[in-house]
Amino acid sequence: MPEKRTRMTHNEISMAMDDVDTPIVQDSPRRYFVRLNLSERIQHLIFVTCFIMLALTGVMVWLPEKTFHFLGSAKETVFLVRSLLHRIFATIMILVCIYHVYYLIFKAAGRRWFKDMMPKVKDINDFGGNMLYLIGFRDEPPEFDRFSYKHKLEYGALIAGMTLMSVSGIILWSEYFWDKFIVDIAALIHGMEAVLACLALMIWHLYEVHLRPHKFPVDNMWLTGVIDEAEMKEEYPLHYKKIMSDPELQKIYLREGSKGSGQKTDSINA
Amino acid sequence: MKHNRRKPTRLNTRWPVFFNFVIPAVVCFFFFIGIGYAQSDASPDEENCLICHRYPRMGRYDEAGNKRVYYINDQLFAKSVHGKLRCKSCHVDLDKIPHENVKKVDCSIKCHLKDPSSNREFSHRGMVEKYENSVHGKGVNRQKKFPEDRPTCAYCHSNRSYNPYAGFWGKSEALSRETLARCQGCHTDKAWTEKVYAHFTHRLRRRRTQDEIVKLCTSCHEDKQKMARHGLEAISTYKDTFHWILVKYGVHNAPDCITCHVPVGYTTHEIRPRDDAMSPINKNNRIKTCSNQGGIQNCHPNATIKFAEGRVHAYGTKVQLMAAADKTKVSGNEEESLLIVRAREEITQSELFHYRVLSLISLFYKIFIGLVVGFMTMHQLLVHRRIKRNARKEDAHDAQ
Repeated sequence: MPEKRTRMTHNEISMAMDDVDTPIVQDSPRRYFVRLNLSERIQHLIFVTCFIMLALTGVMVWLPEKTFHFLGSAKETVFLVRSLLHRIFATIMILVCIYHVYYLIFKAAGRRWFKDMMPKVKDINDFGGNMLYLIGFRDEPPEFDRFSYKHKLEYGALIAGMTLMSVSGIILWSEYFWDKFIVDIAALIHGMEAVLACLALMIWHLYEVHLRPHKFPVDNMWLTGVIDEAEMKEEYPLHYKKIMSDPELQKIYLREGSKGSGQKTDSINA
Repeated sequence: MKHNRRKPTRLNTRWPVFFNFVIPAVVCFFFFIGIGYAQSDASPDEENCLICHRYPRMGRYDEAGNKRVYYINDQLFAKSVHGKLRCKSCHVDLDKIPHENVKKVDCSIKCHLKDPSSNREFSHRGMVEKYENSVHGKGVNRQKKFPEDRPTCAYCHSNRSYNPYAGFWGKSEALSRETLARCQGCHTDKAWTEKVYAHFTHRLRRRRTQDEIVKLCTSCHEDKQKMARHGLEAISTYKDTFHWILVKYGVHNAPDCITCHVPVGYTTHEIRPRDDAMSPINKNNRIKTCSNQGGIQNCHPNATIKFAEGRVHAYGTKVQLMAAADKTKVSGNEEESLLIVRAREEITQSELFHYRVLSLISLFYKIFIGLVVGFMTMHQLLVHRRIKRNARKEDAHDAQ
C-alpha cells in the first residue's frame, strides 16, 4: 500500500482488509475474478431495493391493527402511500425482470449466464457430495463450476417466485376484471409466496452474503463484482481451472491488479 | 359605591383598593357564577325527578349482579335529542317512590310532542315496525326464536348526544361553531338553536366511524354460540378481507359492515336476508352494491357480474361443515344441526369447489414453506458447522 497518500480509495481499503485475511505473495500481481459485471450489478441493486420496499410495504397489510396506533391520524396517509409505493416498486421490479430476459437472450454475457445457469446432472452429484462433505463423510467439497447448485436453486426460485408474484399482483391490481374466485386465489398465492420468498431470502441468501464467517458483515462482491484468487480457488475451483486454461475466458473473467472489474490498472498494488 | 365615597369610614380609607374594588369584584364573581349555574340548570324538571336522580352515586346492583347507574346529568340531557321530553314521557308508570313494576322503555309509543311536518303526535312507531320485520327484529307477532338475542333500539342507539355537540363536523370544531353562530344570528334562543343544529348535523354525517361500526356489529356477530342458534356463522371472516384492512388503517370511506349491507338507498332498520330480492347483497343487486352507485365514493365502478357475484367474506363455518358433511351427522346438538341444515340450503356446489381449491393451495403452501425453510436452515447450519470445524482444524494445524 502506498503510505504517502492520505486518502485511500474504497477499493484500496477493501484490499487492505483482504490483506489481513489472506496474505499473498507481493511480487506477483494480484488477480481478481469477475462474478458479476456492471449490468448484472445494477440489475441486482435495483432488484434488492425493490424487494425490500415491496416486503416492507406489503407486510403492513398483515400486521395487527394495534401496531399502527402510534401513527394516530396519519394512518390513512401511511396506508395510501404504502399502496402507491407498492405498485411503483412492483412495476420497476417487473421491468428489471423483463430487461433481464432481454439480457439473457440478446447479450453475449447474458447468454453465457443462461448457459452456466442451466441445471445439469453434475448439480445433483454436487449436491450429494456437498452434503456428505458438510456432514463430515468427506474431506473435500465437490468442485463447483461458475454457478453451484445453491445458486441454481436460488435463481430458479427467483424466476418461479417472480412469475407468480407478478401474475397474482397484476390480477389483484385489476381485480374487478376477474372472477372473484381467481382474485381469491391470487390474493392467497401473493401472500403465501411473499412469506416464502422473505423467509427463503433471510435464511439462504442473507446467510451466504452476510452472516457466513469470512463474509461478515457483508460480502462486498455485490458492489465490486469481483472476488480474489484465493476465494475463487476455494469456492469455484472448476471455473477457476476452466478460466486458467482458456485465454478467451481469461479476457472475460480475469482482472489483474485493480479490484475494479471494469478497468485494468496494474499500478495500485505495486 | 358612590355612597361610600361621600362618607368615608376609617376602614375603607385605610384599605381603599380592598374595599372599593376587591370586595365588589368577589361579590360580582360569585353572583355571576350563580347566574351561570342558574341558567345551566334551566332544563325543565317539572316532575322533580332530579331531586334524587341528580346524585352521581345513585344506583344499585340488580338481581343479576349488574351495576345500574340511575344518575342523570341534566345539562347533558338537555342537549340531547330527547332533551325537551319529560322523564315520564318515556318512563311510564313511575308514580310510586320507590318505583315499582318498572317497565322497559318502549320507543314505539306516542311522545305527546308535535311533529312539525304533520302537526300530529310524534312517534318512532313506523321505524320500529319496519325494524321488527327486518332480520334483527323479533317479528311482528314476536314469533321469532331467541328474542333475547335480538338487539333492542338502545343497543345501537346508545344516546351519543349526551356528549357535547362540538365536533359534529368531524375534527373541524371551528366549522361547527362558525355555522352555529350564523344560525344564532336570526334564531336568538340559544338553547333551541343548538338543539336543532345538533339534530340536523347529526344526520349529515355518519355517527360512528367505520371501526366503531365493525365493533358494534361484531359485538353480537362474532359470538359463535349466539350465531349458531340462529343458523348463522360468526363473521370473524370479515377480518380476512381487504375491506377490513382499509378500516384498520382508518381510510376515508373504507368499507365497513353497513357499506355493503346497508348501501345508499337502504336503511339499517330494514336489513333483510340475502335471498330476499330487496336485499342489497342479493345476487341481482350485487353489482349496484359493489359499485356503490349514488354513494359518496364509487368503490368498484368497473365491477363485472363475475366479480360482484363472488364471495366477499372468507369461507367460514358453513362451507367447512359442508366439506365435512359426510362425517358430520345432522343429529348432533341442536345448534350445530341447524347450521348444517342451513349450510345445505345455502352453500352451492361451486362455492364448495372454490373452498376446496383454496384450502388445497393454502395447505400446499404451508407444507412447502415448512419443507423449504426446514431444508434451508438445516443446510446453512451444516455449512456453518463445517466452516467452524475447518477453522478449528487450521488453528490446530498452525499450532503444531
